[in-house]
Amino acid sequence: MDLRVQLAPKNRLGLTLGNPVMVASGTFGYGMEYAGVIDVQRLGAIVCKGTTLKPRPGNAEPRVAETASGMLNAIGLENPGVDALIRDIAPVWAEWRVPVIVNIAGESIDEYREVASRLDGVDGISGIEVNISCPNIEKGSVEFGTSPDLAAEVTEAVRNASSLPLMVKLTPNVTDIGVVAKAVVRAGADALTVCNTLRGMAVDIVRRRPVLGNICGGLSGPAIKPVALYLVYAVSKAVDVPIVGCGGISSATDAIEFIMAGASAVQVGTATFLDPRACLNILVGIEDFMARENILTLSEIVGQARA
Amino acid sequence: MFLLKCQVLSNEQLLPRTYLMWLEAPQVASSVRPGQFAMLRCHDDLVRVLRRPLSIHAVDGDRVAFLYRAIGAGTRWLANRRRGDEIDMLGPLGNGFSITGRSRRLLLLAGGIGLAPLKFLAESAASQGHQVVLLVGTRNTAEQYPIDLLPSHGHVVKITEDGSAGKKGLVTDFISEFAPEVDQAFACGPEGMYRELMRVRGSMQSVPVQVSLEVRMGCGIGACLSCTIRTNSGLKHVCKDGPVFDLDDIDWGAAPVCRI
Ligand SMILES: Cc1cc2nc3c(=O)[nH]c(=O)nc-3n(C[C@H](O)[C@H](O)[C@H](O)COP(=O)(O)OP(=O)(O)OC[C@H]3O[C@@H](n4cnc5c(N)ncnc54)[C@H](O)[C@@H]3O)c2cc1C
Ligand SMILES: Cc1cc2nc3c(=O)[nH]c(=O)nc-3n(C[C@H](O)[C@H](O)[C@H](O)COP(=O)(O)O)c2cc1C
Repeated sequence: MDLRVQLAPKNRLGLTLGNPVMVASGTFGYGMEYAGVIDVQRLGAIVCKGTTLKPRPGNAEPRVAETASGMLNAIGLENPGVDALIRDIAPVWAEWRVPVIVNIAGESIDEYREVASRLDGVDGISGIEVNISCPNIEKGSVEFGTSPDLAAEVTEAVRNASSLPLMVKLTPNVTDIGVVAKAVVRAGADALTVCNTLRGMAVDIVRRRPVLGNICGGLSGPAIKPVALYLVYAVSKAVDVPIVGCGGISSATDAIEFIMAGASAVQVGTATFLDPRACLNILVGIEDFMARENILTLSEIVGQARA
Repeated sequence: MFLLKCQVLSNEQLLPRTYLMWLEAPQVASSVRPGQFAMLRCHDDLVRVLRRPLSIHAVDGDRVAFLYRAIGAGTRWLANRRRGDEIDMLGPLGNGFSITGRSRRLLLLAGGIGLAPLKFLAESAASQGHQVVLLVGTRNTAEQYPIDLLPSHGHVVKITEDGSAGKKGLVTDFISEFAPEVDQAFACGPEGMYRELMRVRGSMQSVPVQVSLEVRMGCGIGACLSCTIRTNSGLKHVCKDGPVFDLDDIDWGAAPVCRI
């Protein structure tokens, strides 16, 4: 049975995963945190917490709020900055078998470019995932990912700054995701992650205030699965690069749904909090399904539900 | 750190809205330190996507206990578990209290449900030969923890806000009476209690004080960065670097630290 996935077929370095089950940015730290609970080396890949040029302290507490079958988060990209990541964390990854992809974020095109260029050629880093759901501070704080032009500009800047395989993570908070997908693929994305969190909020009726310190946050978990699943389907009709499905995936059935809708691989996020073994259980469940259904290579079923 | 399914041995209401649950968890029982906590899964499906953090309240052989208030959907679900049911536990987590080498006399300050981790600390400290004074503060006598379940070899002082049992007032009102006599103090209670400790810090001389913080958590192991606080030594994560911190190390600032 062949579970391997190539996420960057046109990139010189390529990005080959041993299996399609990745863990999503911001839900798995830097990989070490869960290493005492599960065998992280069995994962298809690890995507680390969003990394910016300078260290960031993150948002005011509370940063998370549970909602029906989901949660809101507004962490505010707390991270030690790209230089500390390269100095202290990447050397650990360099010893690992599992590929690690660095998720990057920025407040300007220059910041994305600079972070990407510093990551280029660093041992232990197999790829870059660009989070474009960040406000563009120079241009009225509109999110890069909501404008096809800005999204393409970020992608192109990162593409030119680094030769690493390049994934772009799309935001679901748009009217037509296909247009954004096409723009970033034209600008050089090797693969697309679909999708990031949906914007939402919760109110504490006793205090009569928003629950989150940041007022609004990103909704994740099983509550968003049908939305993310449809977006994967829509993106896979619009472009011809590998897609990584993400959003509410908690079981092997969920993962296979995403694969049949057009994803070549999946990311598990919020489900890890409830069950740190979820990602590995999903992997085993996919293997069982393939054995049961006589599927020899995973690529046979990618997009099969698309008709 | 273990990820286990544990059998419920008992789960009874002990105080108003407050339950005492014993679980069979040999690996946790043999490795946990006072002040550490566990993340418990509080339902069988995907309706609630986060585990609930609860302090380890007591250890006895292969068993560990939690003392918890049923305040919301998750803890109410816990309260409905019966003997023989299974609970999914991730733990032990966090740093726990640390008694420094030279400390002989310890003062423990419990505000309300804050008694949860302090009973374990009192028992383990007393069994190691430390002198323990435990101040147990509650609103009224009905909320006072049964005295026969508290360590017998320590000195327990009951305090109630309404004066219906023991001394009348707040735990922090009695600091100046006990603090000069001790080498180290440990507190668990609401944030207001810690701020009051800061205010009367002068009357405690230089006694080091450790406090256990409560903030919202996602993962419990330092991966999601939900529970960040500011300290004098930089940003810290309550689940991994805490939940126990030096009172003086926390940046109390103007805004609440434990915003829940
Ligand atoms: C390290 C630590 C140890 C704790 N130990 C104990 C204990 O021993 N006994 C006890 O009764 N309580 C303890 N608490 C508080 C306990 O975690 C909450 O009461 C519980 O999570 C409430 O869950 P719920 O579903 O009943 O409430 P809901 O209000 O429905 O919970 C909604 C969300 O908010 C979170 N939340 C709500 N209140 C708190 C709170 N006070 N602290 C942290 N998160 C909260 C929940 O975990 C959940 O994610 C501890 C908290 C922490 C951080
Ligand atoms: C606590 C938390 C932190 C996150 N941090 C990031 C981040 O730094 N960068 C990013 O691109 N996505 C981040 N995400 C989004 C996830 O990677 C994922 O896209 C989203 O949660 C949907 O997947 P899920 O429903 O499986 O969690 C975060 C999500 C959560 C819950």
